[in-house]
Amino acid sequence: MANFLVKRLLQAIFVLFAITLLVAFAIRLTGDPALMLTQGAGSVTEADLVLIREALGINKPFFAQYFEFIVGLFSFDFGRSFLGGTPVSDLISTSLPATLILAVSVMLISIVISIPLGIKAAVSKGKWADQTIRIVSLVGLSFPNFWLALMLVLVFSIWLQWLPPSGMYGFTSFLMPAFTMAIILTATNVRLVRSSMLETLQAQYIMVARAKGLSENTVLYKHALRNCAIPLITYFGLQFGGLLGGIVVIERVFNWPGLGSLAFDAVSGRDYPVLQAVITILSMLIVSVNLLVDIAYGLIDPRIRTE
Amino acid sequence: MNTKQYFSMALKSIAMATSITAASLSFASTLTVSSPQDPGSWDPIDTFLINWASVSTNIYDGLTYRGPDLKLQPGLATSWQQLDNGTRIRFNLRQGVTFHNGEKFDASSVKFTFDRLMGDEGKKGPQRSNYAAIESVEVIDSNTVDFHLKAADPVLLTKLAGYGAMIVPPKYIQEKGEDFFNTHPVGTGPFKFVSYEPKVDIKLEAYDKHWGGAPKLSNLNYRFISEPSTAVAELQSGRVDLVIPPTIPIGMISTIEESPELDVVTTVSPSVYALRFNTKNGITKDERVRKALIYGVDRQAIIDSILGGQASAISSFQSPISFGNDPKMSPLPYDPAKAMQLLKAAGIKPGTKVQIDIRGNDSTFNEVTQAIASYLQIIGLNATIKPYETSVLINDIVPAGKTGEMFQQGWGGWTLDYDNTAYFMYHTGEKWNPYDSDPELDKLLESQRSLTDTKKREEILKSIANYTADRALEMPLYNLNAIFAVSKKVKGFVPVPDSRMRLNNVTVE
Repeated sequence: MANFLVKRLLQAIFVLFAITLLVAFAIRLTGDPALMLTQGAGSVTEADLVLIREALGINKPFFAQYFEFIVGLFSFDFGRSFLGGTPVSDLISTSLPATLILAVSVMLISIVISIPLGIKAAVSKGKWADQTIRIVSLVGLSFPNFWLALMLVLVFSIWLQWLPPSGMYGFTSFLMPAFTMAIILTATNVRLVRSSMLETLQAQYIMVARAKGLSENTVLYKHALRNCAIPLITYFGLQFGGLLGGIVVIERVFNWPGLGSLAFDAVSGRDYPVLQAVITILSMLIVSVNLLVDIAYGLIDPRIRTE
Repeated sequence: MNTKQYFSMALKSIAMATSITAASLSFASTLTVSSPQDPGSWDPIDTFLINWASVSTNIYDGLTYRGPDLKLQPGLATSWQQLDNGTRIRFNLRQGVTFHNGEKFDASSVKFTFDRLMGDEGKKGPQRSNYAAIESVEVIDSNTVDFHLKAADPVLLTKLAGYGAMIVPPKYIQEKGEDFFNTHPVGTGPFKFVSYEPKVDIKLEAYDKHWGGAPKLSNLNYRFISEPSTAVAELQSGRVDLVIPPTIPIGMISTIEESPELDVVTTVSPSVYALRFNTKNGITKDERVRKALIYGVDRQAIIDSILGGQASAISSFQSPISFGNDPKMSPLPYDPAKAMQLLKAAGIKPGTKVQIDIRGNDSTFNEVTQAIASYLQIIGLNATIKPYETSVLINDIVPAGKTGEMFQQGWGGWTLDYDNTAYFMYHTGEKWNPYDSDPELDKLLESQRSLTDTKKREEILKSIANYTADRALEMPLYNLNAIFAVSKKVKGFVPVPDSRMRLNNVTVE
């Protein structure tokens, strides 16, 4: 297990390194930020541009800039935004928690709802409960997230006026963005839990457990769930990456001041330092979630732990 | 836990949410504005974004002031004289003015502001080049300053009313530092800074000691919301009172007008659109072809249908409120027969290809271009549309002269002086003029720059407008309105053409 983890950790570090290099390189292909900054100006001379590039630090060779970025990374110093000069770490320290709170709660809401529903559907396979859950989840699955977001805003903010349509002003602001994503994710997960459970329930040890006279709940939650947990956890881990991608759209619709909004503005403003930082942090998150998934394998399955 | 319990939990949380919203309902004289962009810094010399100005016009004053009527008025300077053939301007300063931090405003604040703009700090930002005419600022006495200019700049007095020329507090900046000033702005304007949360909002409150009198609002908040539907949802739910441009797309106007609590207010803006021609290569090298293309497109029909009437046809590349617009000019009429005749005379075969380069993310202009392409089809040309990412088109393709026969150009200088358009579009060697070089036009453009006689200068600008239309240097399309959505609770709001709105006379019921 320890060996396995060390190997995974080294792999993770390599992945991060490759991503930072790729991002730093790719973003510099998008064009000159100095031109972007001065596009509203009428008469900008090449001399003006040279001064601005110097002030932004983009006149240096690529590897010098990249080296600075990597060194800064260790002290959480990502330089300054090209737009306005705010330290990037300040921007990150407010938007990272905003994104995390949303992403993690969406995962939790979805897992907490989909596991019991998925099991219920599996147990009552073919009966009305199963049919209902399957149809409802199919409907949920078919919503495009931005459309669902707009519908929720229409109902809860404009008609009922219960929830604020956007922004991050306490718990009420949190409900719509979280549930928009959670509804869609849950719809997927219910189907996943159901099929995984159906497979497990056919195993012989389930028959043995039932034959022993264990209560149905013990059979389901202790024996069956634990055995189908590994594929589920793998899938949830992968989902987290996808979720962080989908969050960009949702953050924009709900004006949620998270990493997605930050990245969006940075792309359109050729704001190298901000974009580099956001992508690096997002990849760190995804890599660490995958590491956690690996660790979770060991915790759930004693066979992996002792190998 | 079963399904029932989940639903009861969800209901409980919704009920909780309701009570919180009800408790946080609005204060009496607070105006909340939705602005599409956070400029990231409130320092006047750091940015060019119009949404910097829509906030900062309330925080800062310039030496001159220009309101919604676009007439230049005294600001922190009560009067001024142009001396030495326009190369020196003397300003008499307003007395008894204090910055929001209590610091006194006088001649040294003016000198500090412009030394900073033209010096090392200004070099890092994009504003300096706009004020390049300023050589130095000399303090005559505590209430008088002289601006020494390298060359006369007829638009300078207007430029002093906004952006990089906003007067900043010397002591405050020296003591607190540049970084602190970026996020904690202090000026002499009618509203003072309270708090700023990047990408979220900036909050201001009334500065009762403003020289123009205390504003009627007690608080003024701006929230940064870029998504139009989100901004409108906030407006409909009553949490935002005013949505400023550029947010509302034309297609959304009817939705807002349907709501009994909301109004759409529009005004003429500086924004003009044209398809400019590649006058160096291809078929558009020929003036007859360029004219044929203009005759061949029914621009009024495009305005009426696609733009919902929220625009007006233009005859030269400027807005009707621009200094230098010639009201006697009229757009070339829609005349496909004449267009085909001109094409035939120029020896253009039917089915010849023309390429139109546009910004891919501008959905309204995309529709406009598709309509243009079909009009061109009618006169026998085969138009292809090539969309680019905005920053690529304007920073890489156009300046390098790599466009097709036509390319989208939007322009809209807040100074509303045709010089600020024409010089950059038509003078040889300018970034926005990759193709054309016309010595006669160059001479005209240069000649008006040193004139302090406004009448004479206006005549020259008008003749430039006529000259460019005669040579058909672009297909002038339209001047787009600035679109504001506002709650009916808001009284006394006057839409401004240039986003530089001062909200001191607005009230909220």
